[in-house]
Amino acid sequence: MTGQTRRGVMKKAAGTVLSLMLGASLLAGCGSGDKEQAAGASGEAGGSKERVTLKVEVFDRGNSPSPHTITNNWLTQYVQKEFGDKNNIDVEFVPVQRSEETTKLNVLMASASDVPDIVFVYDSSVFYRYAQQGGLTDVGELLKEHGTNLTKYLGDETLKFGQLEGKQFAIPGKRAITARYNSYIRQDWLDKLGMKAPKTTEELYETLKAFKEKDPAGLGDKNIPMGLALAPSGYETLIYSFIKPVKGDLTYSQRYEMPLHEGFKEAMQFMNKLYNEGLVSKDFSLDEEEEQLTKDFQNGNVGFMTEDVGQILYADGVMDNLRKNVPDSKVAAIDTLTNPNADNKYTKSRYGSNGMYIMIPKSSKRSVEAVKYLDWMASGNNLLTMSTGVEGENYVMEDGIPVIKEDATQEVKDRVYNGGDMAILANGKAIGDQEMNEKAWTAGFPKQNQELMRESIAVANTDTIGPIVFNRPIEAEAKYGTALNDKLKVIIVQSTMAKPDQFEAVYEREMQDFMNIGGSELKKELEAALQETN
Amino acid sequence: MTKAKATYLNPTGEINNRRSSYMKRYWQLYALLSLPIIYFLIFRYGPMYGVQIAFKDFNLFQGINGSEWIGLDAFREVFAMNDFYTTLRNTFMLNLLDLIVSFPAPIILAIMLYEIRSGWFKKFSQTILYIPHFISWVIIGGIVYQLFGTQSGMINEVLTSMGFEAVPFLTEKNSWLITYLFTGVWQSAGWGTILYLAALTGVNKELFEAADVDGATRLKKIWHITLPSIKPTIITLLILNLGKMVSIGFDRPYIIGNTAVREYSDVLSTFVYRIGLEAGQYTLATVVGLFQAVVGLVFIVGSNYISKKVTGDGIL
Amino acid sequence: MSERTSNRIFDIVNITFVTLFVIFCLAPFVHTIAVSLSSNRAITSGEVTLWPVELNWDAYAKVFSDHSMLQSLGFTVVLTVATTILCMLFTIAAAYPLTKSNLKGRKFFLYLIIVTMFFSGGIIPEYLLIRDLHMINTVWALILPGLVSPFNLIILISFFKNIPPSLEESAEIDGSSHLNTLLRIVLPLSLPVMATLALFYAVGRWNGFQDALMYVTNPEIYPLQLKLFQMVQNNMVNELTQMEGASRAALTPEALKAATVIFATVPILCVYPWLQKYFVSGVMLGAVKG
Repeated sequence: MTGQTRRGVMKKAAGTVLSLMLGASLLAGCGSGDKEQAAGASGEAGGSKERVTLKVEVFDRGNSPSPHTITNNWLTQYVQKEFGDKNNIDVEFVPVQRSEETTKLNVLMASASDVPDIVFVYDSSVFYRYAQQGGLTDVGELLKEHGTNLTKYLGDETLKFGQLEGKQFAIPGKRAITARYNSYIRQDWLDKLGMKAPKTTEELYETLKAFKEKDPAGLGDKNIPMGLALAPSGYETLIYSFIKPVKGDLTYSQRYEMPLHEGFKEAMQFMNKLYNEGLVSKDFSLDEEEEQLTKDFQNGNVGFMTEDVGQILYADGVMDNLRKNVPDSKVAAIDTLTNPNADNKYTKSRYGSNGMYIMIPKSSKRSVEAVKYLDWMASGNNLLTMSTGVEGENYVMEDGIPVIKEDATQEVKDRVYNGGDMAILANGKAIGDQEMNEKAWTAGFPKQNQELMRESIAVANTDTIGPIVFNRPIEAEAKYGTALNDKLKVIIVQSTMAKPDQFEAVYEREMQDFMNIGGSELKKELEAALQETN
Repeated sequence: MTKAKATYLNPTGEINNRRSSYMKRYWQLYALLSLPIIYFLIFRYGPMYGVQIAFKDFNLFQGINGSEWIGLDAFREVFAMNDFYTTLRNTFMLNLLDLIVSFPAPIILAIMLYEIRSGWFKKFSQTILYIPHFISWVIIGGIVYQLFGTQSGMINEVLTSMGFEAVPFLTEKNSWLITYLFTGVWQSAGWGTILYLAALTGVNKELFEAADVDGATRLKKIWHITLPSIKPTIITLLILNLGKMVSIGFDRPYIIGNTAVREYSDVLSTFVYRIGLEAGQYTLATVVGLFQAVVGLVFIVGSNYISKKVTGDGIL
Repeated sequence: MSERTSNRIFDIVNITFVTLFVIFCLAPFVHTIAVSLSSNRAITSGEVTLWPVELNWDAYAKVFSDHSMLQSLGFTVVLTVATTILCMLFTIAAAYPLTKSNLKGRKFFLYLIIVTMFFSGGIIPEYLLIRDLHMINTVWALILPGLVSPFNLIILISFFKNIPPSLEESAEIDGSSHLNTLLRIVLPLSLPVMATLALFYAVGRWNGFQDALMYVTNPEIYPLQLKLFQMVQNNMVNELTQMEGASRAALTPEALKAATVIFATVPILCVYPWLQKYFVSGVMLGAVKG
């Protein structure tokens, strides 16, 4: 071996490092270059002003049908053509994985330079945190200047959800329908037993007992009088039928604030009774995604359950499968849980009238364009096109309601495969007032389920309780929210599954814990905030 | 490098000479080592300034440098949380159980595979045994519920049809531990054999022949020949495992765990996920991470020290 | 009991046990295949166990007609091969010098590496680093951050240490340089462990997607597992979907999920049987004799 060869080796080694580094930067260069080119090619109508890029977040659910991609599809092209090119703006969509949105958004926010100009979250505590830490643009003035359509579309009631201490830090999307939960019962079971549909909580309990003892479907071990999952549609409905709302038909908005209400303990006691008498699904605590519940219901093993409106009525969904599996089954939507602490009304939760919180980060240099984009979306037919497609091709108007054309080709249907995620201003099909929206929604269900859907919505809209909106963030929510939410589930499961004679001790212990890990601070702050609004 | 070259050209002077001969012997090794070291410096040490988040009131928008120092406040906050101690205890308990049950499993399985004489069956079973490693926890979770559920789980259906009482494998905390360990062994034992099988390729076949002449039984041969030959691998893995006693993967406890057994299934990683990522309290998450790092480092250095004293083998 | 019978009993017990374990390991895989071939109704009604119910190939037809899926498969194969090669090169480069006990600074370097097993900067600084190196949305972001796994490195060191020193010494007496010894003697003797580590790296890369979640927004370089994750996770946000007012009907059907799992798993499963040929017993022995 000579010095020569050795030097050769070193050179090679150094070369490898260099080429690695170079390769990296070259590739990086290529990546961004491609994008610019692609964006440049699509927009030719350049004005005198310098062309700018507006970056908009979009949820990626990995369901893009070929040949579409999440960043290049019919809708992105529509936005570019109708909004971008006319305003000399390149609209670039930044995909964020749906299930990782908050994690990713935090990182993007921290990076300042990479964050999209329009971002959004559903979680109000994330919005409050961003606002508190000074990361969001106050869009109040911008809305006045560039957002007249937008302001008109959302209305003051919805916009209020995005205000903190008089500043408009978020533009809340609008929720088309506030109906949330309702209950279903197996009418054929009732008929067999010669019973009438229960009308109060007490009657429901008697009915469930009859379901268990008389086993009308002859299911033996598989018989589940009341299907329950550890999902809000199960426990929240039960709890809301016991708690006393703090202010008329309004109450604290967060789920983990339920234990702070009068009547919560009674709700737990009721669940404990149902569980110990074998009236609810034994493994409800395992079933956070309602998979087991769905299975049990469509196999005809469940007598009664509470559910999200419409959840079981989709084409080829739970209801259709139940009809296939148990041909003589009959399901009715009923209202039965009466609240002893609220004049025996059928109290249940409803959604607030807002959808997601749409935000413009403070570091964004394109806040004007961002508001213009949202304003564009709110004007004319754009929102409908973005969520539903082209009139005459994707849908036809019947009595002012867009009815989806089932006979459209797959290619046409695929245009709006992620319409719900692109039309960020609306949750669901917002075409007019609630009633219109509900009709439009119902029209999307298969014919055989539409009647039940109408009944479900009617039940879900009875005696609803909505969220209070305070005009300042509750700091304890941001701080303890996640831990308390987790604890709520523990309280429910432990109290429900405790032996009856141990209920008192278990409940007290878990509640004590709940108060210790932030519950009491939260309570104090909420009560103070409530005082301010009165 | 230049120095090495210079001394190579003028081999004069006592000290210079010694250094030069050392460099002459070892420069290639340093050159080799420099690549990975540069990697570690850039990609692992580069971001490590993030550790200071633990001592700052981290504000996403001010960045790490712009956030205010808060000293040890966050540590006080974490150490005052009940959840921290519960999850620490559970992490330690689950890891210890794993060390007792799941750590030896691949060793035993590897030896069993090694003892199989039929070539095709050996290859076939090896290939199958490592499949579970590729099935994501989300899917395993679904299967576990189907198997172990109280009302509709297959095992309990068999039990109840035989007249036994259903066992709440998933909702009673002690039975849940069995389920947890079982899924761990099932998922990792086959995969874990690979390293041991690689180590077993180095066994000197002549030793077996000699043992045969002595009339040793199969078990004796395993004990005296097979096991000692994989001892260094076992020790290395044991030390590495001990270093991870206070850290635990997220998926397995999160997916196999459930609210009913939260008392046991809540571990540091789920705790950090809850307070850190979901609630955005990076400071608290970093504090827990730092705590785990220090304990882990102490454990690995300590167990390495003990191992060197006792067996003469270690990793450092 | 004669030696022969005891041998037989040992074999029978041994093979029975391994067979049982094999069945255990195979069952979920068979179940997933069964789901991928069944009708959606049968799946959600819980009728599918180990055999397809209402057999159909729709799910596979859909997976294979999805251009982006095939493209992602191709990309992931290339990515995995490239990552594995680079990782192996760097790991060997680190491991070999660190086996030399008289290498000055050896302990220091070892500690330098071990510390990184425990301390890390967290996702935000890591993201900022990748951004500052201009690697966002490039394959380098998926290759470089995980280049050397300290765990694998330590394993390789421990295997290298087990090579009889006499072999290396004799080579060095013959005037072979370190690099030469590594290439001519150490590596050929370490084929089984090299194959193992290559498998670890390959599988790690194949199964990994968390880095892609952070560093990649360009669908053209989505690894296959990221696409799989999207599908599986899609159904995990049931409650969110409700809140969004989106329809459950839009969620991925179970059969398609299962078919995607099979599609994304089978290629990497094929790697192991191929590597098995490096697991030949007695490699070391032959070399000692030679």
